[in-house]
Amino acid sequence: MKSVLLLALILPALAHAATLTLNLRDERGNPAEDTVVYLMSEKTPGLPIRQAQTRIDQVNKTFVPLVSAIQRGTRVQFPNKDNIRHHVYSFSKAKKFEIKLYADTPAKPILFDQPGYVAMGCNIHDNMIAHLLVVETPYFAVADRTGRAVISDVPPGNYSLIAWHYLRPDRDALVMPVKLANDTTLGASVRTRGGD
Amino acid sequence: MRLPRFRTLQGRIFAFFFGLLLLTQVAGYTLTSTIGWSIMKDMLAQDLRGGQQVFERLSQQNTQFLTQAARVLAADYGFREAIASDDTDTIASALENHGSRIRADLMMFVDANGTAYLGSGKPSSLQDSGRIATLLQALSPQGESTGYVRLGNQLYQVIVAPVRTPLPIGRVIAGFRIKAETARDFGRITNTDISFLSRSRDGDWQIHASTLPVAVQEEIAGELGRAPDQVMSPHRIDTAGASYLTLDVPLAALNVLKARVILQSNIDRAAAPFYELLGSLTILGLIGLLLSSLASFMMSRGIAAPLRTLSGYARSIASGDYRTPPPLDRKDELADLAHAFGDMSGAIAEREKRILELAYTDPLTGLSNRAHFIEQLATALAATGRAGAPLAVVLLDLDRFRYVNDSLGHPIGDQVLREVARRLVAELRQTDTVARLGGDEFAILLPTATPAAARKVVNKLLLALEAPMDIEGQLVDIHGSFGIATSPEHSADPTTLLRCADVAMYKAKHDNLGYAEYDTRYDENTLDRLSLMSELREAVELNQLVLFYQPKIDLKHSDSFAVEALVRWVHPRRGFVPPDRFIPFAEHTGYIREITQWVLREGVRQCSVWQHAGLDVSISINLSARDLMNAELPVFFAALLKTHGCRPDRICLEITESAVLDDPRHALENLKRLEATGCKLALDDYGTGYSSLSYLKRMPVCELKIDRSFVQNMVNDPNDTVIVRSTIDLAHNLGLRVVAEGVENEAILNQLCLLGCDQAQGYFFSKPVSAADFEIWVQSQGWRDQVQVARRA
Repeated sequence: MKSVLLLALILPALAHAATLTLNLRDERGNPAEDTVVYLMSEKTPGLPIRQAQTRIDQVNKTFVPLVSAIQRGTRVQFPNKDNIRHHVYSFSKAKKFEIKLYADTPAKPILFDQPGYVAMGCNIHDNMIAHLLVVETPYFAVADRTGRAVISDVPPGNYSLIAWHYLRPDRDALVMPVKLANDTTLGASVRTRGGD
Repeated sequence: MRLPRFRTLQGRIFAFFFGLLLLTQVAGYTLTSTIGWSIMKDMLAQDLRGGQQVFERLSQQNTQFLTQAARVLAADYGFREAIASDDTDTIASALENHGSRIRADLMMFVDANGTAYLGSGKPSSLQDSGRIATLLQALSPQGESTGYVRLGNQLYQVIVAPVRTPLPIGRVIAGFRIKAETARDFGRITNTDISFLSRSRDGDWQIHASTLPVAVQEEIAGELGRAPDQVMSPHRIDTAGASYLTLDVPLAALNVLKARVILQSNIDRAAAPFYELLGSLTILGLIGLLLSSLASFMMSRGIAAPLRTLSGYARSIASGDYRTPPPLDRKDELADLAHAFGDMSGAIAEREKRILELAYTDPLTGLSNRAHFIEQLATALAATGRAGAPLAVVLLDLDRFRYVNDSLGHPIGDQVLREVARRLVAELRQTDTVARLGGDEFAILLPTATPAAARKVVNKLLLALEAPMDIEGQLVDIHGSFGIATSPEHSADPTTLLRCADVAMYKAKHDNLGYAEYDTRYDENTLDRLSLMSELREAVELNQLVLFYQPKIDLKHSDSFAVEALVRWVHPRRGFVPPDRFIPFAEHTGYIREITQWVLREGVRQCSVWQHAGLDVSISINLSARDLMNAELPVFFAALLKTHGCRPDRICLEITESAVLDDPRHALENLKRLEATGCKLALDDYGTGYSSLSYLKRMPVCELKIDRSFVQNMVNDPNDTVIVRSTIDLAHNLGLRVVAEGVENEAILNQLCLLGCDQAQGYFFSKPVSAADFEIWVQSQGWRDQVQVARRA
């Protein structure tokens, strides 16, 4: 494995934050779209929430985006862009909730205060499904169609780089130590398929 | 086995139509039956395929419904919530609730880890974890599926629906046991017998549910076990109780299980109405056959009965009954036939009458013929026999009629016969019957005539015939001999009576009596003669005749001599038959020709034998009047001479004057031809019959024999001596040799020598002896001495 030079920024206040760009490929070498990547360290679980609220839309009886990642403690709004109503629910251990039949934006966003995987569906539309990974770090990203994920504003330091894919929700797709000093671009291969 | 042959037309017509009908009926029955079976089988097969479609569709719908139901449970928010919250009791009650809703026999939830949650209570056997394991093994890892699975001895239809929250977290499994009720429901809808089967691990098919009777189920399962594989088309399975048309329909199994449904139609039950139809058809056919055979019987009788009547009528025609034909009350061909029969019988009757006339009439004279006469006689005798009345039969034979025929020709002869007939009829009563029996023989039947009356009539007839007849300018004198026989004196039998008359007639002719009445004394001769005829034939054929030889001694040259051959008959029973007992008879019947031929053959042969033996003897042979008339005799005689190599001049043929006088022209002609063969001719019995010097002169004879009657009395009667002397002188003057017969003693011999007689013949020298005895006699000296003595005297 080729060695990567990572630059660490020692002084957070002074430091200029680094950006980690990842080019992710699956086992077959295809862009590993929708792969969630996040950086963990001992400090990250206690870091303040960077973004207090985010949203998962329902458009054309589809959750948009399909895969989301949030920092624990973030609230998620489920705006209904369709002209029919939805009944969003989750029986996941990380968060059990339901927003009974509603239109437009529900009155209250849902607070995800436990880390873990949350599968959400619509009780009315069996085909609607959304995957949400609740992580204990503000440094995360979801790979786009090209397999590119960008985690920005990361203070230099040593991290564990963890990748996760909803098709293989029970295990991590990649766990890798990363020493971040300045902007870095990495290519990585992840496991997206079920089984071994 | 041979089919009975129908000899009668009626039988044949009947048999033909009956056979035709039977054939039609049987063909119709067979066709109906075959087509019916075929249609029925097609229908059954179609029913089964229809049943299959119904079953598959229904089964699919059912599965969809159940799947839907399972899905509903799987998607039920509360149920999922219970699962999510691991609320075991709630899960179980939800399973039970939904299970009872869709009447599932088995309802369970299996989570992602393979932990099973059961609806409480049923079925207890499934509590067995081993079986649940089996079931779980059978399931595909994920997703929705349906299929059949065998759990224990039971067959289940299983519906699997995943539970998503929204990701799959487990599966709801609904199981429906296949039970009798299932089969019954399907059976009712598909309208067939239906059975659900699966194959156990050891390969036997087991029926889980069926609409079939239990006994049949086992047999069917057995049959399926034997069958190699599933048959996709309807096929037949026979059981002890019934036959089934069977269609296999595979069932989707969850695992490797083999399961199928068989749809079956009971052929016998389906065929029952068809059998009923066939039964009705048979009854109808039998009735039809009965009616039509009755009709064909009537029709055949309608044709045959008149035919029988007509054939009966034809038979009555055959037996001579010419009635009018039986009336046929119809106007068809048979009536025409009856008419034709009538015409025919009329024509036959007409012709028969004509034939009868011809048969009973003598065409020449118009009198009755022999057949008619005998019939009339029989009828008359039958009538008189009853009445005891007398009756007479008269036979007439014309004397010397042949002479008329021969000398004046047959046309004149025929006219003579017609004239005789006319005269007879003219003299007789209407009630008398006159018939011409043939030739110159007539018969007269005098009913009620006594012998005296008959004599009177015959006298009248004799008178009537006496007058000369003028035939085409020629006067013909004709006489007849009549024989009379009367009933009841002589016989009451027609044939016998006629024969009696015949005997009497011959007596009259022979004795020149004019007429004679029958007398039993005549009959003995006649009877004798009758049997003689056949015996005489035998005698000639069997060589019973023998030639005896009597020497003719030459009184002038003692060393030459001749013999006269005399025929003798050695009868095997009667012994020696004298010639005068059969020669006249043979002459009368004409059989003398055969005898003469025999005598000629034997005489010529003997003469030839002697000649070759060095014995120079001339043999004289007698010819009768009939022989003289035989134009073939000279040829026959010449051939004989040639055959035996006999010198002709050693044969001398002796004839009588009377023989020549019957028909002198022919006789003389024949004599000349005989003489031409080279033989000698002699005139026998000279002096007894008519003697005509003119004939004597013209006859080519070289010898004259003086009749014994003159010679024997010569010694005592001077008249006879004169006759003998003048005869010898006459003969010598004509250049003839003279032979004296009947030389019985020395005195006669001496006198003959004195009179200059040339030869002598008689007992004095020798009686007629056999050829062998003659040869001995020739060697003896005695006769030579006698001649020497006489010459010297």
